[in-house]
Amino acid sequence: MKAIDGLSLSPAHRAALRPGEAVTDENGNLHHLPRFFFEVPSWEEAHALRVASHFTLSELITVDSREAQLLLRTFPHYVPCAILALARYLEDFRREVDAPVFISANGGYRSPAHRINKGTPFHCWGTAADIYRVGDTYLSDEKSINRYAEIAASLGAEVRVRTYQSGDDHLQVDLGYLNIVPRECSES
Amino acid sequence: MNDEPKTETLRQECERILSESKAVAYAVAVHDYETGLRLSINSDRRFHAASTMKVAILLAIGKAIDDGRIQPNDTLHVRNRFRSAIDRTPFRIDAESDGYPQLHKMIGRTARISDLTEWMIVSSSNLATNLLLDYITVEEAQRVLREAGVCGIELRRGVDDTKAHEQNFNNETTAEGLVQLFATLRGDFLSKASREMAINILLQQRFNSMIPAPLPAHASVAHKTGEISTACHDAGIVYLPEREPYILVVLTEVAPEKNGRRETIAKISGIVFQTLTGMEVKA
Repeated sequence: MKAIDGLSLSPAHRAALRPGEAVTDENGNLHHLPRFFFEVPSWEEAHALRVASHFTLSELITVDSREAQLLLRTFPHYVPCAILALARYLEDFRREVDAPVFISANGGYRSPAHRINKGTPFHCWGTAADIYRVGDTYLSDEKSINRYAEIAASLGAEVRVRTYQSGDDHLQVDLGYLNIVPRECSES
Repeated sequence: MNDEPKTETLRQECERILSESKAVAYAVAVHDYETGLRLSINSDRRFHAASTMKVAILLAIGKAIDDGRIQPNDTLHVRNRFRSAIDRTPFRIDAESDGYPQLHKMIGRTARISDLTEWMIVSSSNLATNLLLDYITVEEAQRVLREAGVCGIELRRGVDDTKAHEQNFNNETTAEGLVQLFATLRGDFLSKASREMAINILLQQRFNSMIPAPLPAHASVAHKTGEISTACHDAGIVYLPEREPYILVVLTEVAPEKNGRRETIAKISGIVFQTLTGMEVKA
């Protein structure tokens, strides 16, 4: 995948992706949105590209019509470089549960312009996943979510698993505010 | 032509059928584009709208397409989690009682707005309905009704919101409101493409045991039924190749588990058809 400095993108893309922009989380801590992205030339390539043994890129970037129209309807798409770390984590999770792992639409990377965002969730860094199904089990109740939450949390100190809340229909995991700078890119 | 005697005869026949049905309450409204005949029986009385409210969402989607805010091929995340209009507590749609259970197999993935719209109307899927209404929003759907000049339909929430139902916070409609809604769908409020999309979906209706039941085979009906334990409705446009169409709305409030409620509406449809066209209904 070709790495891109988000600051070099068109004004319209920069407005939607807000590369490198400082944002404040709910605790008042400052973070920078991803600046470096991989360019995704077409949906076909996203389907074909394996970012881990059992995950294609398309599984981690599927969004619905609540995404910014520019990012939804036109290619190339841009996905934060940290998506590879998420893919690696999900592969580890899949190995532990020994079953296919399904990420929901809007449940992988979504841009800061996505309309379901409340604030700037980890999804905007490409480091969060909403797992709605493991094997044949839909994670739609406390029991099934807690069962896999324990396994998900056991895979690393950097992993955070959201505790079950009434009505949850997925298990949410994230790796924090991870930004990756590709070797060929300059941060100047 | 003076239609008053015909209208009066039709009124008496409808009232006879409905009073014999022991419906707790009823309303009938007819608008015939061929003769100009209009019939209104209790047509301003408010009823629980049941699934007839889905036609208002259909109109809002058509309008959003015309305004360029959505495209039919746009997709929505299929998830079965909604929030009560009363207190935002989460609730789900029961897959086994949904009109299109196949949609529940798509949970987690995306579905096209055009497909969801079709499943909402043709199969009366409650899951598709709530997904579309969450996206369009209740406020926008209500705004479109107002813009179209449709009065008598109060859209307040999605379907299967038990907590709202318990507090009597329901979608409501009058027979006249549904006549206006179907007249809007048939008129020039929507673009030709959106109008044809909406009418074609309504023509594919799967539940045909009420208005269409007594009509001859060459009739086609663009309609939507609505049934809950205490209400049984059907509303739509009846197309016949030899004449202009007519709109018929029949709303009934019934005792729970009362038998024969669909047959009552079918009888009303039959008598309306006979009176307007002079033709015989199906045996």
